[in-house]
Amino acid sequence: MIVSFSPARRRRVGTFFSAGLVAFLCAPSAHALDGEVTGDVQGQFYDVRSPGGTNVLERRRVTAMVGVSGYDLLEAPPSDPRAPNITLRARVRYDADYGANSETSDPTANSAAGFVPGFSPGNVDLMYAYVEGRRFFKGLMGFKLGRQYVTDVLGWWSFDGGQVSVATPFFVKAEVYGGLEQRGGMPLSTSRFQGDGVWVGDRSGFPAGSQSLYPQFQPVAAGPAFGAAIESTGVTWIHGRLTYRRVYNTGGSNVTEYTPALTTPATYEGWRISSEKLGYAMDANLSSVGGLKGGLVYDLYRADITQGFASLEGYIGTKVTIGADFDYYVPSFDADSIWNFFAAEPRSDAALRAEVTVDRHLSFSANGHLRIFTVQTAPFAYPAGNVSSLGATPTSNYFPTNGHPFDEGGNLSARWRKGNTTLGFRGAGDFGDEGDRVGGDVSGEHVIETRYIVGGRVGVWQWDDKLRPDRSTTSGNYVASLGYRFAAESRAMVDWEHDINSLVGQRFRVMVSLKFGVTK
Amino acid sequence: MISRSRAALRLLRRLFVVLPVLAFLAVVPFALAGGTTVHGLAPLPDDQKVPLKVLPPGAFDPDQGPSDVVFPHQSLTLRFNHAKHLGKDVGATCKTCHGAAYKSSSSSDSLIPAGLVCDACHSTDHTDRASVKPGDEDMGQCGFCHQGYKTGDGNKVAELEMPRANLLFNHKAHLDRNIACAQCHGQIDQIELATRDQLPRMRGCFHCHQGPDSASSGDAKSACDTCHIRGERGSNIKTVFASGALQPPRWLHNAEHTPDFIERHRWIAADDSAFCANCHKEDFCTDCHDGRVRPRNIHPNDWLNMHPIEARMATQSCRSCHQEQSFCLDCHMRVGVSESSPPDAKEAQRFHPPKSIWSDPPRKPGHHSFEAERNLNACVSCHTERDCVQCHGASGVGAGFDPHQDGFTAGCSTQFRRNPRPCFVCHEKGDTALSACK
Repeated sequence: MIVSFSPARRRRVGTFFSAGLVAFLCAPSAHALDGEVTGDVQGQFYDVRSPGGTNVLERRRVTAMVGVSGYDLLEAPPSDPRAPNITLRARVRYDADYGANSETSDPTANSAAGFVPGFSPGNVDLMYAYVEGRRFFKGLMGFKLGRQYVTDVLGWWSFDGGQVSVATPFFVKAEVYGGLEQRGGMPLSTSRFQGDGVWVGDRSGFPAGSQSLYPQFQPVAAGPAFGAAIESTGVTWIHGRLTYRRVYNTGGSNVTEYTPALTTPATYEGWRISSEKLGYAMDANLSSVGGLKGGLVYDLYRADITQGFASLEGYIGTKVTIGADFDYYVPSFDADSIWNFFAAEPRSDAALRAEVTVDRHLSFSANGHLRIFTVQTAPFAYPAGNVSSLGATPTSNYFPTNGHPFDEGGNLSARWRKGNTTLGFRGAGDFGDEGDRVGGDVSGEHVIETRYIVGGRVGVWQWDDKLRPDRSTTSGNYVASLGYRFAAESRAMVDWEHDINSLVGQRFRVMVSLKFGVTK
Repeated sequence: MISRSRAALRLLRRLFVVLPVLAFLAVVPFALAGGTTVHGLAPLPDDQKVPLKVLPPGAFDPDQGPSDVVFPHQSLTLRFNHAKHLGKDVGATCKTCHGAAYKSSSSSDSLIPAGLVCDACHSTDHTDRASVKPGDEDMGQCGFCHQGYKTGDGNKVAELEMPRANLLFNHKAHLDRNIACAQCHGQIDQIELATRDQLPRMRGCFHCHQGPDSASSGDAKSACDTCHIRGERGSNIKTVFASGALQPPRWLHNAEHTPDFIERHRWIAADDSAFCANCHKEDFCTDCHDGRVRPRNIHPNDWLNMHPIEARMATQSCRSCHQEQSFCLDCHMRVGVSESSPPDAKEAQRFHPPKSIWSDPPRKPGHHSFEAERNLNACVSCHTERDCVQCHGASGVGAGFDPHQDGFTAGCSTQFRRNPRPCFVCHEKGDTALSACK
């Protein structure tokens, strides 16, 4: 089922929101308004060569963002930081690649021989746009209305809708929210926040009767969603958040992607689960002893724990922290995807780490870790009479035993900051069955006379691709940056990146950026 | 010749005696001078270490002092002995000199007593600051309290620099609740000169400030802007001052921004939805998590060439910032390495290892099923589900190569009931294999 609005309903909704916006903007009590306009323009110019060297993409990218904010929209006594407050924030982004040729985004050109479904050479999206109210009803209630983010153990997620939170005197607050998930292919949206595993986007530009053109590219439809969370509040040494979210898929989805092009695809229609997850994360800290963090995500659709982590830290004196971390992960996808049912096995990271804060300027951190994979290990054998037989029923699993190959590695990093100067070092090495990668870089930035910015990064990285030995190489690279700071939030920068390796020879990347902020 | 040698020997003997004596005589005055303790120049005489029990609550041992961003460095040009003044000999109380604190509602109020307060005991006259009159006794001389004072220097004293604290604080509100000075400043009666070290530690504030942020009785709330200055432009708190940038301390969620914090921050964000937002706005997160410019502190230089091996080894979680079926697939299609690449772009050269390793038995590292089990996300960054279905579909070329996990049929009814769409990609509605999940 595709969610759609009749023209009359659309008019009513439009009138409602227009009236709300006018009332909001003309609110007589908005005299305390603190306004802000921000802008970022970034240009990136570089080439991407395919591994075989056949194709070279000339990437001429321009990304521009404009943000508008209004703060303290309610009249509040300046001496009362706990008074109710309303904030408005919005940010729009234009992301274009002027290096892309027109065929790439035109399904009708040249028999679509160069067409890449879903690719847009100039996408505009509304990153966020919301009105937020805080501390209403003596601090009991808050709300958020519009396109907004939710951050918790279920991931970083965006939706269009409303959220209400209620704080109680019992060290607990609760929140509920609902709306539509932000999905790629919808107006002013990106696909960043939707479940992975289904190639979905806007098919509206496809010529009529072209269902067989990229049948695996599914038409986007609204994703109704809701969620709730309970979170501790007030106490600073222990904290936890229990969270639940359900997202639906709607509309039709092609289920005969592999059938010959002449066959009319069959679709599955109707509301169905896209994802349903329950998560919990907690943190406890004793300031002279150490801390404990933990969390897990239970995927109610897969009926499986898909993420878990635990981190135990000990404080040795005031300068040294040691920690042991464990991280568990199983790939999970949108419930429309077949990949949830593939034999994707858990992957776990076990690490030991140490951080040393020498003084206010200099700090180090280091870790060593094992990345433990799970694979089924029984020898492969074709079952008798079941080789490439069309229409055969799949037999039961052939690989019932498990093994745990692992990769090992470590990181070392250091940072020195003083005044207008920052210096950093990073070294990393990872070694495993699929390959090795080891290297490091040194970076620095210095601001001269509070205005002139000089920066750079020099690195050497070596990788050994054990599946494709011909893709192994050593790369030497550097970046040189120059900039000018107009004001605290405004600066212009130029970066020059030069990479040298035996795979591509010389690679260059030029980046220019302008960032500004104007406040009232 | 012999007499010359004897003379040289005598001289040498004398030097052996004279030099140590001279050295001793030279050292004695310094030793005597060092032994003379001048009080009131430091928290404890001779700059001794202040015991933890005397420091403000919340201090560590060893203690590095309060935040120099919140309490900027001071230049104290006065000599003062709190222990003496608060002791039995003088009998003063905090209020004797700092009475203004009982009425102060702002951290910008100056609570250092004016010289007039000293006049009663020191026989000085600070009535006219342009012409302060010293007292008759030693303790009434300007140099007794004002460090560096020189007679005949135009009656000038060095300026005391005590920048305002970068936080909100209402002394009156605390004193009205009978919160004693020592609860924030430590045992002042046991120290001499009060310095920045006697200013409150944030950790000590939390002894009381643990109340819910809303709907609680009392004002000892834990919201950051109870004490921190609200930031401009929507930030909960102001983080950048002339004295530096505020950083979270280790004892708060262990959110100290060490060089490896970028690897740990997700645990904190997962747990406390609002903690990061106290200092950062969404734009800070979107720069990486929904960004369009590669952050070099995460992906180093030459990332385009390096990223295949990184993705395969899962050294970083691509999904943290990228949707694989759009961000990754778009570019992989354009550059021609994806199975779904447009015909004009598709690269002739094979991306994966040779068929004999990638697809044929025996199954071992390097075989595609092995690699998919290890890291399915790497497959999803290039392939659409159609690529898999062509071989693994129930009626495709490779029908029979069951991709399901071991024990799959035991729990598949839940998935089938909630979303049967993926089942129908490989199985016809009448497929008997589906009956196990219905």
